Amino acid sequence: MRSPEASGIARAPLSPLLAKELAEIVSGRALWAMLLLVCPLVGYSFVQAVSLYGEASLGAEASPVLARSLSPFDGVLVPSFGAFYVAVTLLFPFVAIRVLGQEKESGALRLLVQLPYRPSVLIGAKLAAVAAAWVLCSVPALSALIVWRLLGGHLAPAETLTLLFGHLLYGLLVGAIALFAAALTESAATAAILALAVTIGSWVLDFTLAGRPGLLAWLAQLSLTQVLHAFEQGLLSASLVLGISAAIAGLAVLTSVWLPPGVALRVKLTRSVACIAATAAVIAAASQIRVAIDVTEDGRNSFSPADERLLASLAMPLTATVRLAPEDPRYVDLQRAIFSKLARVMPHFTVRLASPHAFAASGNDESYGEIEYAYGARRDVSRSTSPREILPLIYGLADLPPPAAAPGDDYPGYPLAASAAPALPWFFGALPLLILVGWFLVRRPPRIDSVLILQQAKEDSHGNG
Amino acid sequence: MDEAGTAAFRPGCTVSKIETDAATPVRALLQVSGLTKWYGDEIALADVAFDVNVREVLGVIGPNGAGKTTLLEAVAGLLPVDTGNITWRGAPLPRARRREFIFYLPDGIRPYQDQSVARVLAFFAGVYRRSGAHVAEIVAALGLGSVLAKRVHALSKGFNRRLLLALALIAPHPLVLMDEPFDGFDLRQSRAIGDLLRRIAQDGRALVLAIHQLGDAERVCDRFILLSGGRLRGQGTLTALRQRTGLPAAGLEEVFLALT
Repeated sequence: MRSPEASGIARAPLSPLLAKELAEIVSGRALWAMLLLVCPLVGYSFVQAVSLYGEASLGAEASPVLARSLSPFDGVLVPSFGAFYVAVTLLFPFVAIRVLGQEKESGALRLLVQLPYRPSVLIGAKLAAVAAAWVLCSVPALSALIVWRLLGGHLAPAETLTLLFGHLLYGLLVGAIALFAAALTESAATAAILALAVTIGSWVLDFTLAGRPGLLAWLAQLSLTQVLHAFEQGLLSASLVLGISAAIAGLAVLTSVWLPPGVALRVKLTRSVACIAATAAVIAAASQIRVAIDVTEDGRNSFSPADERLLASLAMPLTATVRLAPEDPRYVDLQRAIFSKLARVMPHFTVRLASPHAFAASGNDESYGEIEYAYGARRDVSRSTSPREILPLIYGLADLPPPAAAPGDDYPGYPLAASAAPALPWFFGALPLLILVGWFLVRRPPRIDSVLILQQAKEDSHGNG
Repeated sequence: MDEAGTAAFRPGCTVSKIETDAATPVRALLQVSGLTKWYGDEIALADVAFDVNVREVLGVIGPNGAGKTTLLEAVAGLLPVDTGNITWRGAPLPRARRREFIFYLPDGIRPYQDQSVARVLAFFAGVYRRSGAHVAEIVAALGLGSVLAKRVHALSKGFNRRLLLALALIAPHPLVLMDEPFDGFDLRQSRAIGDLLRRIAQDGRALVLAIHQLGDAERVCDRFILLSGGRLRGQGTLTALRQRTGLPAAGLEEVFLALT
């Protein structure tokens, strides 16, 4: 089959497209309105968190043990960014939808899809604009970090950057959902309803189904809120990062499938099914990766380095059979304090939940609460949820002596009895004022035809030279 | 200047219409055949076939609901069709590649409303690597100089239409489809824009204009395709259509009424 001759307009530079997308997103009211709302939200949370942290720190001055339990990551950073998370869940879809919804409503989409860019490039540029919008929206939260440092607070770079990275991934995920909603629907209002149904719906899912057994627990895992939990615990999990990245990429591909108006519905559906299957396969494969880095300064997600080295040297599989209901708080404690840490250092560690029917049938089953540890042919049973009892038990099964404790690696804790009340004018006055000035500067009509005149002047000077 | 119309057009040239009836050999740029589109049980286009030749202005004529917009969007690849073949200089032109050869200017759109006219023009100029001089020439030809700093949402209907025409002229495609290009213009402005479109065709680009104002169409177009109810009722030059209807002195309006 003969193909038409090349017209020379099959490709175009990316910079005009990126500049257009950025100009479009910053000229929308939604972004600036969200920024204005984030200021008091984050500011109030930050001031409250610093106040509570300061009260706890007063007692810690006399007690090194209490001081060691004071981490700014838990006490200040996570609560302050928690307010930002709420804003991103509820407001960011409106910002992201505008990137595509405005063009659909004005008819500009029919011009856009004729430009010499592939749909994937168009969506990539829009996602880049959404990422830029997220960075702008995070300014109040980032300023809270600066205020914390100015108050004399401690920031551990690794855990702070991990938390920021988690929020960035969450923001991009919400943005990708919003873009897909805008591609599916004809109006921005319908897209907003669809996107909020997903974000708020998964929020509700998380609240109502967390801690429930079986299928409900699996459903709760699908909640978007789960995305942030590991990052808020100071864990940089390869499976989570890859899984979220795959979900964002999958949504972007789905959006580019639904973007071109000239493709038949049947073709779009077929491509969507293939895209969803591929994304699900990648997420499933990513979930098998056990690599997770504990970035916390206090090493809360890890055993001591000596214990981790010894546990990693165990060659045979270790299995823990738990006779507890999944919603039992002791099981949650075990997961957090022992199982998740063992899973990170032992590639052949498996947790099995004994069938709930086994102990539900007999109301007074005495074995309820037992955890059986099996290493090779040797077995032992414990009811403890403390690593101080379980680790010696495992070493006993492996016939190994416990490692000697290494001195000097204790977390010192960072108590700070400070008040962030002086920062209130920043979050409630100065920062909103700066945002309004930025909004005014962006909305201000250009005084001259700067773009064309500058371009013309440049060409004239080249011509004269 | 090449046939793809990549050279700058020259405002101010006077251009006459091409009379292609006199057996002048013209090479079809675009050939459309068997184009059919259904919306449920209702047919929007029924086996429509026509050619577009180099340097010609082809008018798609028909009342509201005749299928003019559907036809243009289908040809541009912005609307899925049930059947139909489209070739470019004899070679099949798949939907995904049509944007390389055809630019479609829709009716009733107001793109990038929060941006200034200058920024929107600069965006298109950047995408198609057009020089500042070329854009300035288009701005002058369309009289957009006084509104360059205005935001698109603040433009009148006429200036918005001029902006859209400017975007179509910045695009270097050899074939431009325009839906109601005279909508929003008064008589004097319509005549000026008509002259401009004729000059563009003279410079090497082919234009397909969907027009419901038959006076405008008769003045600007070289050939016509007449649509009614999604069906092609006739096509050719006004002279050929007069012969077909047996109305040698009739205007396009009488010809159209006779054929539909």
